[in-house]
Amino acid sequence: MKEGFRQAMAWLHTWAGLVFGWLLFAIFLTGTLSYFKEEITQWTQPEIVPHEVSDAVAAERGQQWLQANAPDAKRWFIRLPDERNPDIALTYSPANGGFERKSLDSVSGQPVQGRESMGGEFFYRFHFQLQMPHPWGRWLASVAAMVMFVALISGIITHKKIFKEFFTFRPRKGQRTWLDGHNAVAVLILPFHLMITYSSLVIFMTMVMPASILTTYGSNTSAFFDDLFPAFKSAPPVSETAPLASIVPMLEVAAQKWDGARVGLITVNNPGKANATVALGSNGADHIPHEPGTSLVFNGVTGELTQQSSMTAASLLLAGGMYGLHMGHFAGTLLRWLYFFAGIGGTAMIATGLVIWLGKRRLKHAKSGVLPFELKLVEMLNVASMSGLMLAVVSFFWANRMLPVSLAARSDWEVKTFFCIWGLALLHAFGRVFFRDGRTAWREQLILAAALYCLLPVLDMLTAGSYLWGSIRQGQWTLAALDLTALATGIFLAWGAFRFRGEGQSVIASKLTPTGSSRKQDSRQTLTGGSELAREGVSEGTTVQEAR
Amino acid sequence: MLLATLLCYAGFTALCLSMNRHAEDLLGAALSGARSRAARWLGWVVLALSLWVALVSLSVGQALVQWFAALMGSAFVLVFVMSYWPRLAVSLAAIGAVLCPVAACIQLLA
Amino acid sequence: MDAAMAPGPVPEKRPRAPKKSGAGEVSMRWRLAVASRVLAAVIGGYLLASLASVCLAYFLPLLFQSSRAEAAVLSMTLSFLFYLPAVLWCFACRTALRAWLGLLVPSAVLGAVYGCARWLV
Repeated sequence: MKEGFRQAMAWLHTWAGLVFGWLLFAIFLTGTLSYFKEEITQWTQPEIVPHEVSDAVAAERGQQWLQANAPDAKRWFIRLPDERNPDIALTYSPANGGFERKSLDSVSGQPVQGRESMGGEFFYRFHFQLQMPHPWGRWLASVAAMVMFVALISGIITHKKIFKEFFTFRPRKGQRTWLDGHNAVAVLILPFHLMITYSSLVIFMTMVMPASILTTYGSNTSAFFDDLFPAFKSAPPVSETAPLASIVPMLEVAAQKWDGARVGLITVNNPGKANATVALGSNGADHIPHEPGTSLVFNGVTGELTQQSSMTAASLLLAGGMYGLHMGHFAGTLLRWLYFFAGIGGTAMIATGLVIWLGKRRLKHAKSGVLPFELKLVEMLNVASMSGLMLAVVSFFWANRMLPVSLAARSDWEVKTFFCIWGLALLHAFGRVFFRDGRTAWREQLILAAALYCLLPVLDMLTAGSYLWGSIRQGQWTLAALDLTALATGIFLAWGAFRFRGEGQSVIASKLTPTGSSRKQDSRQTLTGGSELAREGVSEGTTVQEAR
Repeated sequence: MLLATLLCYAGFTALCLSMNRHAEDLLGAALSGARSRAARWLGWVVLALSLWVALVSLSVGQALVQWFAALMGSAFVLVFVMSYWPRLAVSLAAIGAVLCPVAACIQLLA
Repeated sequence: MDAAMAPGPVPEKRPRAPKKSGAGEVSMRWRLAVASRVLAAVIGGYLLASLASVCLAYFLPLLFQSSRAEAAVLSMTLSFLFYLPAVLWCFACRTALRAWLGLLVPSAVLGAVYGCARWLV
């Protein structure tokens, strides 16, 4: 049964990986970008310059603006600025429902004058909502997460030589190199992949696995959230009005109680009414677990502390810890870059898997040179979902710099550009794969993407150079870092395009013959499949005789 | 965390050298049976040591997160360097080993 | 996966996870078996994971000092550790029928345990 089990897992890994691979690539890539979403937002709104402002000053400015412009709102939210968020982000719920948002400049206290753009938030929201109406995007993303989990574990089970081949990477050996690469980015970064995947399930668990809430609380699900986060309970407003106390002294109480951890979010319930309350939540950058339940609640009129709650229960720290590890709010610069590279590794794991899936089956048709319809379909989707998405991402940045600053709904136009380019990439992939060959599709898209990424810094200098140089002079490297990352990406894509030069036949031929290696293991895995191969499962498979 | 990272890299290199196929690439010849076993033990001990170093210098949560990051990062660097410049991979481990006392002093004084 | 495996017998009767026939064609019967396993994994697995979390949420406050909200959170967090083996089982077992039985029977047991604990005891 052992052999059957491993082979069944290999089959499951292969097919789960293929069907959801394209979606998971997009989720991983946009998620990786999201680790720098604040930095991306800064780049897309270079007019907003970060300043050093104390929490007290920022809170006061936020309160003043809301007092003047939203006195009748049911709730106010003030997100204080920090190293990565230069503005004071206000949200309020007006009497007629919904939410309104406003960004204030931290120095002037006035609404920021920056070009309208979603910035990094676009990639962040796409990552878990997939641009689909609520709640379908989240459901699809959660399903993808579960499939990812299955693919990871089945992959581990399948990889019989996970310890023996831990350090193995053999370059310049065709299909074997791709498989080594897939194994390397998977196994060497496995703790990250497992953490990211499981935590993504935990993040939406109240939506996807609510059975235990329903059986414990019945239909009164809001009681569940009230039990977890007692500080967020908001009573309906009373008619009696009373002026809201200043928030500034409350921040000082927080600094004392929290031993230096900063306040991140200020929530005001029923501002201007007699039963107003102010809740302070800590800044996520100061601790690993996501702890929405850790808060200080003050009477909004008298300013005195009425409730202090913290999430110490082990189960809440476990779930909150996973949430926090996924989001990485706590990560400083170095760790954040490591998160980013780990995310790239995960994205590469999926990409190599998709390429291997097709590559193995393509070998069977090497003689005829013509691929059946299904394989062409897979190739088209591979090209469109990978190089096509890379094109879409860079076009978002190009649109941000090229669209006129005062264009109405320019934020929507940036998003439309993203999806239009992605759609065009799909059409191009269709045309090339079905009417020429896949290599041409890859080559052309990679060349275009490489050009756009490499030229992004040039575009930035031409259209927003003053902001770029200004930020460098002030010692802020965010804008320059994004430009340099784009350049590095462009160089990588150019190298990729170079690999797809010329016709494909010579490459297929080289995959069939073993490239000179003196090691016994390598010569064993070539041309003839045989029982040796069947026993070793997918991890050894490089031969022509791969049954599906 | 520098010390823990250097130790991770050294530990992984030792584990790698204990495997015949890799020792051939990195050193020119596989290690003898006894030396290979010693390298394996050394590798695990050094990795455990790096975890201990992390735990004594930071809070548990932070230590574990940063240690795993060091673990994954050093393993990745080793495999990458090893695949293209095998001798360099070993040299880096040797340099790292030499720098360990320096890193230890930095950590103790900080 | 294994053209080199035992040739001959009708695919579904072979004591293996779903495989094609040796000729390399995919029969309708095989496709239906796979579809059945997928459904078992998705629906049956979800059912099993949900019932496991319901039982955990019920029994944890009785066994440990936890509030019902904390128990609900922990049970949801752990539920995916039940979902995963359920999915793997559906593709590792010998027939599609076993896939369903292997999930429905434990689910029924968990449901019965919860039902008795809640309404009978």
